[in-house]
Amino acid sequence: MPPGLRIVIAEDAAIMRDGLTQTLTRRGHDVVAAVADAGSLREAVDAHRPDVAIIDVRMPPTHTDEGLRAAQSIHRDHPGIGVLVFSQYIETQSAAELFAGAPGGVGYLLKDRVADVSDFVEAITRVAAGGTVLDPEVVRQLLSASRRADALTTLTPRERDVLALVAQGRSNTAIAAAFTISPRVVEKHVASIFGKLGLPPSQNDNRRVLAAIKYLEP
Amino acid sequence: MREQPAPPGRAYSGPMLTALPRPREHPRLLDGALAVLLFSLSFGQWPSSPPGSVAAAVGICGLLAGTVLARRRYPVAALAAALAIAAVQIVFGMAPGGGGPPARALEPTVADAVIPVLLYTVAAHRPRRISVAALVACLLGSAAAIARWAPAQPPASSNLLFIAAAGLAGTALTAWVLGDSMAYRYRREYYASLEERAARAEAERDAQVRIAAAAQRARELQDRRARAIDESAARLRRIERDLHDGAQVRLAALAMTLGEIKEDLDPAPGRAVDGERTRRLVSAAHQNAKETLAELRDLARGIHPPVLDRGLGPALSSLAETSAVPAELRLACAEPPSPAIADMAYFCAAELLANVAKHSGAAHATISVSDQDERLLMTVTDDGAGGARLAPGGGLAGLLERVQTVDGQLDVSSPPGGPTVVTIELPRHA
Repeated sequence: MPPGLRIVIAEDAAIMRDGLTQTLTRRGHDVVAAVADAGSLREAVDAHRPDVAIIDVRMPPTHTDEGLRAAQSIHRDHPGIGVLVFSQYIETQSAAELFAGAPGGVGYLLKDRVADVSDFVEAITRVAAGGTVLDPEVVRQLLSASRRADALTTLTPRERDVLALVAQGRSNTAIAAAFTISPRVVEKHVASIFGKLGLPPSQNDNRRVLAAIKYLEP
Repeated sequence: MREQPAPPGRAYSGPMLTALPRPREHPRLLDGALAVLLFSLSFGQWPSSPPGSVAAAVGICGLLAGTVLARRRYPVAALAAALAIAAVQIVFGMAPGGGGPPARALEPTVADAVIPVLLYTVAAHRPRRISVAALVACLLGSAAAIARWAPAQPPASSNLLFIAAAGLAGTALTAWVLGDSMAYRYRREYYASLEERAARAEAERDAQVRIAAAAQRARELQDRRARAIDESAARLRRIERDLHDGAQVRLAALAMTLGEIKEDLDPAPGRAVDGERTRRLVSAAHQNAKETLAELRDLARGIHPPVLDRGLGPALSSLAETSAVPAELRLACAEPPSPAIADMAYFCAAELLANVAKHSGAAHATISVSDQDERLLMTVTDDGAGGARLAPGGGLAGLLERVQTVDGQLDVSSPPGGPTVVTIELPRHA
């Protein structure tokens, strides 16, 4: 087991906060603070300098998007701290705002994803390690609402599936595992996709996520 | 009095009448014709010479006939002028035994018939005191004329004298009576028109008041509609918030616990299932599922109490039965209100009973519902301490705003020491 992450949780629903704390603790992580609003989150992050902060979008006092704002400000002030924003609703707009200008260490997930505990914990680990995680639902919306629908039709179905996983922030290895194909084949697919869409090729997972999102953004 | 144009619709407009000029509508024409007639009838009475006398006779007859033209505008002046000319005639033209040629020119003529016409005009269009004075002047003039004329008559002709006197006085009196009765008719028409105008003005004022009231009502309804829309939007937001913070987050937590259990039951090779931990997680998930159910039930009941499906009566009855303060229901409404109104009445009753339990210290409460014309009247009474107020921002004010969204009313009577009576009046249909 890799060494545990130091985690701050900001979630106003006690049941979710406690559940996450227990789950993460049991998996060997250290939840250094679990708070219920954006102000306390900022204090906890400044005090503990965790590896990653898990942040609910809607929190007191306004119950609108203070979580999103807090995540952006944390990322600006502490680029080394990963922020995973999760919410009961996801909006492409919020995702785009969150990912704009973020070189990595950012995640945006639907709260439902906690049901697949291991995947969720893995996503936290990836964000903490500087990776990028975008909810499959956001990617689906991006793909279906993209104004580049014409260019997207030039992709083969497999290439579309690969693009979706690329946009979710998966590495070539993870994509290969998902489709039970070799990483070499994934590399070929990715090169083909980027070539067809006219995107600059990149070996860096984060950069290619950003490129994909920017490309798909409506 | 000025000639008023004939009101439309009163004049007969048959083909014959439209073809001919109508005297009433052409007063100048009529007066002109009269003047010409009087002047020309007097023609035979003028002296034939000398030219000076003829000219004088023509002038005097012309002046007399001409007064007719002024009668509508200046009736009194016209009569005065005619009487003055007549006075000159009496003095100079009726000298006993006749006179010289100048006196011949001043003898009375047919043109003097203008006097009764003018007297008629004065009587018809001027106040009675003036017309009576004019009548007296005319009678005196007649008397003077007779007195001046009588000595020239043979003594045996007293009969003729009497006829002449009676003729002059009778003509004057007849003209005056005719004119006066016309004045009476004019006055009556005038008053009638005044009354009609007043009635019209009053009707107009009434209409304006009604329009203002309608505009006010429209503004009120607009406000209430806006408030109803805001309220329903706020209500939807509340429901969304409740779902978001309640059931949704509970279900997410439940899904996470179940995810944990699923992974626990499928351990990595070489590791055993931790039965104790799994049992604990299942128990937590079970508890969580039950709490989610209860929360959803409460939320759904808040959106629409299912008991209302059985009607307002049974719903209020169940409300009274479960009230913290013993409550009695008196139901006397024949026709059930529409669902939205039943919802509103139920909601108000529930709020008011909760208020009674929280604030009044009452031992007993009564809900009564009855019909009042086309509206539903609900009163919630308690025997508590009283002192409830419709304070801005307070619970009762909130209720008032709520009932106003369906055009309802809420009144509070709550003297210190009680009892408190809250009266709510709602339309039968929203």
